[in-house]
Amino acid sequence: MGRKTHRILIIILAFAAAIAVILILSFIGGKSRGPLEGLLSDAGAVVTNVESKVIIRQRSYKRADDLKWLRAYIRDIALLKHPRVILLGAYDNQTTENFESINDFEDSLHMELPLIHIYTAWGSKPEQQFPEKQVKAIIEMGSIPVITWEPWLSSFDSKEWTQLRKPEVRDKNGMTDVARGKYDRYIQQWAMDAKRMNYPIFLRVGHEMNDPYRYPWGPQNNSAKDFKAAWRHIYNVFKTVGAGNIIWIWSPHPAYGYFDAYYPGKDYVDYVGVGILNYGNVASWSKWWTFDEIFGNHYKELSKYKKPIIITEFGCLNAGGNRSRWFQDALKQLPLRYPSVKSIIFFHYSADHTTTQQTLNWYIKDDSCTMNSINRQIRLWPDSVKP
Amino acid sequence: MIRQKNSSLWEFRESPAPKVRHKFILLVLVIAGLISIVQLADWWFRAGNIGNIYMFILLSFCFWFGIVRMMLGWMNYLFLKKPPHIDPPEGLSVAIFTTSSPGEPLSMFEKTLAACREIRYPHTTYLLDDTRDPAFREVAEKNGAVWMELVGIPGAKAGKINKALQYTKEDFILVLDPDHIPFPEFLDHTLGYFKDEKVGFVQVSQAYYNQYRSFTAKAAAEQTYGFYGPTQMGLFGLGGSVAIGANCTFRRKALESIGGHGIGLAEDLITSIRIHGAGWKSVYNPVIVSRGLVPEDFGSFCKQQLKWARGVFEMTFSELPRLFFKLSFWQKISYFTIGTYYLVGFSACIFTLIPFLFFLSGILPATMSFADFLIRGSFVAFFGILIYLYMQKWLCHPQRERGLHWRGSIMKYACWPVYFLGFLLSVVNADIPYIPTAKKAVTGNFTPFGRPLIFQCILFLFSFIIIYIKRRFFVPEGELVLSAEKVWGMMGFAFLSFIMAAMGVYAAIESQRLNVKEPWEKVDLNLFRRKKNGQENT
Repeated sequence: MGRKTHRILIIILAFAAAIAVILILSFIGGKSRGPLEGLLSDAGAVVTNVESKVIIRQRSYKRADDLKWLRAYIRDIALLKHPRVILLGAYDNQTTENFESINDFEDSLHMELPLIHIYTAWGSKPEQQFPEKQVKAIIEMGSIPVITWEPWLSSFDSKEWTQLRKPEVRDKNGMTDVARGKYDRYIQQWAMDAKRMNYPIFLRVGHEMNDPYRYPWGPQNNSAKDFKAAWRHIYNVFKTVGAGNIIWIWSPHPAYGYFDAYYPGKDYVDYVGVGILNYGNVASWSKWWTFDEIFGNHYKELSKYKKPIIITEFGCLNAGGNRSRWFQDALKQLPLRYPSVKSIIFFHYSADHTTTQQTLNWYIKDDSCTMNSINRQIRLWPDSVKP
Repeated sequence: MIRQKNSSLWEFRESPAPKVRHKFILLVLVIAGLISIVQLADWWFRAGNIGNIYMFILLSFCFWFGIVRMMLGWMNYLFLKKPPHIDPPEGLSVAIFTTSSPGEPLSMFEKTLAACREIRYPHTTYLLDDTRDPAFREVAEKNGAVWMELVGIPGAKAGKINKALQYTKEDFILVLDPDHIPFPEFLDHTLGYFKDEKVGFVQVSQAYYNQYRSFTAKAAAEQTYGFYGPTQMGLFGLGGSVAIGANCTFRRKALESIGGHGIGLAEDLITSIRIHGAGWKSVYNPVIVSRGLVPEDFGSFCKQQLKWARGVFEMTFSELPRLFFKLSFWQKISYFTIGTYYLVGFSACIFTLIPFLFFLSGILPATMSFADFLIRGSFVAFFGILIYLYMQKWLCHPQRERGLHWRGSIMKYACWPVYFLGFLLSVVNADIPYIPTAKKAVTGNFTPFGRPLIFQCILFLFSFIIIYIKRRFFVPEGELVLSAEKVWGMMGFAFLSFIMAAMGVYAAIESQRLNVKEPWEKVDLNLFRRKKNGQENT
């Protein structure tokens, strides 16, 4: 054998051996969440926990102290599923670094809100996993998290999720795939992470599933039957994992009807959710509608499921009408007019460009006129629905 | 017992010649390492990872500059080669040049010159002296060396060598640093290679006998072990082993072809690149045939490093571009890699500043999760360390030199202000005065080189307290949880450089308390004679 062949042979052999070494190492630590990764994310959790012990518990003022009354609900999930009080809450878009914007809003409401709403999407990126940090932060603040969990199936990375169809065609009948368990690995991990919080979490999956224009899990891609099947499958995965701390919000769009077709069944739903947003005259398709027009007309249909109703998005733009008046009319004697409504979450979005071409500002905290009417109406509610 | 341990330093040592099976194992490790690096790169360079774009570019540059250097190091190892021993022909005319300057201790020259006389191959030793001290002449003449007074010649050591070249006729010149005590067999391991008419210089390993004296000395020695073992052997395999440090034997014609020994802060390296540029070959023989001194105190070490950093950058800026097209492909790469070694000061500066920048302004260079980075980086680190340890087979004196060399690494990062200063001086082309490296420990006062490190330590403690107070009393609960991992992760990052700086401060404080000794006093040249006699008897 010539020296050259000899040398080439050695190099080929070395390549083979190197690849073998790498494969062995990948096998040791390569699962979707290897032991090392688990260890490191635990280390991160330890830092947070230590700090909460060393710092938060030592403080003289804690926001959670103002929400002491909520502790009974937190301890007893059955109570949360049929609350006596109306649980108020807020979503704010400026909460990536901290929840100060929620605190600011609370200052103008003169109360601490028991619910804090966040949005998160399905997918394979780190920020599409269970939002552990935000949930922990909300817990630390003494509130209960409400999570809108949006099944954007196309955002799963094809490299990691080889068994899925191509992202471009993945949404078509996507709910069937969910129901068949193609996303179980993701759902299970999410459910286990949620379970580990050991704390009630409101979960709103695949909201506005009856709107044929907006989200890929809507009727343009899926039949109502498939949506229901997917819902029940997700519910069952959580049940199998043992995540009993979840409160399920089924949330159709009030204007698009077909509620019965999409309702997964009384055993699978704890709350009926509905978004009530008045866009005023900002778009061609919108006009100034009152709360009673948007919600009241559908109240009967929505309350017939005998579930508490949660208004998951409650907001009004300052365009085309009197906003202060809108809120006043909406909240006036609300517990008497709409007794099923057990929760209202303010939609506090400073720069919303999800629906129209323009940037919409749903902020109301600095509109003292609006805040005054909100405060007045809430305080006029009967004591039976107040903490 | 201790005596015996020390006596083992004064024996001839050599690296083993690499065998095919060694190269094969190395190749496997290098390929595995390269695959890990590709995977890491594939993950690192994603738009989603970018925090602050400018900082990300800076961080990426520093990080990947280090990785690329490591890869080049691995490639270099693959060409590991040891020249087979060649007995020197009889009758070569050989000179040994050693220089003395004002302030250098006379007793050291007594030892060195006595040891030079013991070198077996016939030679003439010259002492190039500008001390104006008659005692030096006496010592030279007592030890059979030619005393040559060369006063007022610019260019320090190199200037004197060039002048001496004019007065002498020997074909081969060993330039010996005066703190290096040569073994009797020194020339037997270098002269043989000059049989090849194209060989311009033969470099041997540089080893030490005072590294046990202090943390600084250990660290300084550790930084050189790899270089004088596998690194230079690889460079030799690639046809570009460099003349660096002490103990280089030159062919007079090679020196004359470039107009004499190079002058500057890194005069050896300048000479080396010029000789290569003139088309000469070089040989690196990984043998220990002399031992010298490594700086014992922190101040001297930093001075030496500043001098080298400035000198090496000078080579990069002024010699490398000029000679670039005269060098072979691998020589270009080697000189560039060596010439940019001290950019580590720049990288370490960035790494040190990133956490403080974050504490001050909240700017993050990258948004990737630290856990992800550790997982993906761990493969690269694993193979990096494995290759590093595997290559220790080719250290010149593995029994004494093996190890993780953590002191060396710590000092490399702790001294970033020194290297950074060297870099800045080179960028603006400013001079630092020629500072001879102290032969004896300089003790007593706290060295000014330690001050930036103390400042860094205080800055860290100060930041820690401020951040604790902020989080204890002022940061709202919601933010605490959201930012805990980020803030304390950065604190951990800052803590690493704090540890390095603190070790540097420790070295500087230890230096204050060092016993001033003249390490050469203890070296017993009779060891060589006894050994020689013993050999003759058997």
